Amino acid sequence: MIDKSLNWVDDRLGIAKGGRTFLDKIFPDHWSFMLGEIALYSFVILLGTGVFLTLYFVPSGHEIVYHGSYVPLRGQRVSEAYASTVGLSFDVRSGLLMRQAHHWAADIFLGAIAVHMARVFFTGAFRKPREFNWIVGTLMLILGIVNGFLGYSLPDDLVSGTGIRIAYSITESIPLVGTYLSFFLFGGNYPGSGIIIPRFYVLHVLIVPAIIVGLLAAHLGLLVKQKHTQFPGKGKTEHNVVGSPMFPTFIAKTTGFLFMASAVTFGLGGFAQINPIWQFGQYEPYQISYAVQPDWYMGWLDGALRIMPSWEWVGWGHTIPLEVFLPAVVFPGLVFNILIVWPFIESIYTKDTNYHNLLDRPRDRPKRTAAGASMLTLLFAVFFASSTDVMANFFQLPLLDVLWFFRFFVPLAPIVAYFLTYKICNEMRAAEGIGKRKRALVVSRSAEGEYSTVKSEPRPGDAHEELEAIPVPTYIDTTHPDLATAAGVRRVIR
Amino acid sequence: MTARLAAPAALVGAVAVFGLVAFSSGPARADTSSTTTAPTTVSTVPGAQPGTVQQTPTAVTAVPSPSAAAKNAAPSNQGGIIYTDLPASFIAPGQALFAANCASCHGPLANGVVKNGVAIAPNLEGLGAGTVDFWVSTGRMPLENISAQAIRKPPRFNRIQTLEIAAWVQSLAPGQGTKVPLVKTAGADLESGNTLFTLNCAACHTISGAGDALAFGAYAPSLHLATPTQVIEAIRSGPGNMPRFSPGNITDTEARDITAYVTGVLQHPNNAGGAGLGGIGPVGEGFVGLLIGVGVLMLVCFWIGDRQ
Repeated sequence: MIDKSLNWVDDRLGIAKGGRTFLDKIFPDHWSFMLGEIALYSFVILLGTGVFLTLYFVPSGHEIVYHGSYVPLRGQRVSEAYASTVGLSFDVRSGLLMRQAHHWAADIFLGAIAVHMARVFFTGAFRKPREFNWIVGTLMLILGIVNGFLGYSLPDDLVSGTGIRIAYSITESIPLVGTYLSFFLFGGNYPGSGIIIPRFYVLHVLIVPAIIVGLLAAHLGLLVKQKHTQFPGKGKTEHNVVGSPMFPTFIAKTTGFLFMASAVTFGLGGFAQINPIWQFGQYEPYQISYAVQPDWYMGWLDGALRIMPSWEWVGWGHTIPLEVFLPAVVFPGLVFNILIVWPFIESIYTKDTNYHNLLDRPRDRPKRTAAGASMLTLLFAVFFASSTDVMANFFQLPLLDVLWFFRFFVPLAPIVAYFLTYKICNEMRAAEGIGKRKRALVVSRSAEGEYSTVKSEPRPGDAHEELEAIPVPTYIDTTHPDLATAAGVRRVIR
Repeated sequence: MTARLAAPAALVGAVAVFGLVAFSSGPARADTSSTTTAPTTVSTVPGAQPGTVQQTPTAVTAVPSPSAAAKNAAPSNQGGIIYTDLPASFIAPGQALFAANCASCHGPLANGVVKNGVAIAPNLEGLGAGTVDFWVSTGRMPLENISAQAIRKPPRFNRIQTLEIAAWVQSLAPGQGTKVPLVKTAGADLESGNTLFTLNCAACHTISGAGDALAFGAYAPSLHLATPTQVIEAIRSGPGNMPRFSPGNITDTEARDITAYVTGVLQHPNNAGGAGLGGIGPVGEGFVGLLIGVGVLMLVCFWIGDRQ
């Protein structure tokens, strides 16, 4: 019966062939290959909780009088967006849990993308033939950040309203087109004609998620088409993939992981409060609270704005506010562009045009690892700069001292990180027996009482357990002094 | 004539002082979920021993008592705040306490000390008892470090001693400055307090009242330990960097609404969503989201994935 109906479907759609490929797809077992799945599943949770929220949220800047159950707001004139979000939190069954899970899932989504991206970068998984997938992933990161900001702004509370104000100024700071763009987006001078919430809403729930879903399909489609990368090891070559098949092993593991991700997200949503907008109140352009930060994934942009000296250029009747334009437009533009073109920069630099299905160990590519560490350090340094006020208050330091510390720390820390990482990588590569199976050390005592340590005999099979060294392009540091002198270094050049 | 008024006047004074002691020595609690709050009310019950303070957990009692009548008769009761005159008997012990604890900086006459043309400590003449009460009852005075902003610490003096010092400083310039306020936050308008707090206070103290760093090493302190009396005293006297709000800016009724919002809502926030994470917004949330959210899920990866 089942056979018959499946045949009926297959006769018309021909899914058996593709389905077999899909069910037999091999997934490497290494834990670091599951990081992307955190992002995937938090995106699934975002879609689910997001649909729930749209049932109750009213995307409108229209002012009404609040009559809900949070007493300190009763009688205040608030926007429908704000009132419905407070109502969602207090007067809708499980509404607060859904709202908080949605917000936590967004934080986790972007965190997981960052971690996944770091894994892909440091192991060289972006190399030919996977440059496209790296770009697709980077675009999803950018859109995720944009959509996070849009969603954060929707409740129209005091804290997020401050963020919209900053976004308006950033748009305005773009030379020549800035004023026009900001008027176009907001429908006039700030705060605009009350259309920004409905516009953000359409972008947040429809347009950006639709693009992300499309990119996600491309990301996974390319993954199936190009197959997984894998770490080198016993039996693993450039021409195979060692791991578990989609069915039955991986499907069980990954379904379990979906439940784990849901558990963590909803656990946080139930027990840890996030964005209690009823405490913040409705946004009014003439009001502000101190200690206002964006969500963490926007923190690096906020930090860059904070530490920038107030420079501006005036001439020919125009002002270019470099203090806003450089940190908030040029800086993120540079970061994202470097990320997107990195695979091509690297292949031009290394003249490496081969296919790569086996991954690098980060220490075997010290320059790339150092560059990545340097970029991460830069982003983390500006990220921490976005909490200058909270740090100053917490550590009881003068605010301006903290600010000036970051003005030096942000440009210097990446340089230090680069050389430190480079050094560490080279020393790790030079260490004896690295990448080989560990052999037991036998401590023996002589008749005179002298202790000595010798390595145990190799066990059967040890020779085969050694990791196959990867072909290293000749440019990479084989002449480094650490390597030339050290014993046991792997210098296999094919 | 004088004799006829003496007894009620003494009663007014006694009630006011006991009320002060009972009301302003600890943080008030107001229920955030309802305006019909039931804070402890202090009344001297007829027949009780003189000087007994009885705390009853109900709102103002329906039975008219001499104390209620006395309160209604108090001349300076505006908008829920009673500005009290401290009894003259407080002045002499206050001077002794001042001489022993404060005079080393402020001088025995409280007119400040100038050394080599630099003011070591300001002249206190002209300050009201409320200003003194704020600085001493929050533990900011005596000062720990003269080069830094005064910090809140456990007060050195008990409630009566604090008021005695305040009474003596007030006696140097009678009628000037802020008197010690007696505040009853029950029945205040939390919505109005919320609006006024956002408008006037949140820009420095933050919307959650957690406080934050300001420029040049100054900071706006946390409001989470402030008592209702201290909130009114700060609004009216403007301690340190804080601006002073006169009744023309913020009326007594409005000041009382703000006080009710600070001591009722901000000190007992409605954390319906779970752990409050310090009330410092996305900084705390980012740490939890990354360390616990992403961190735990990475551990799960590590658990179910291959570690070779």
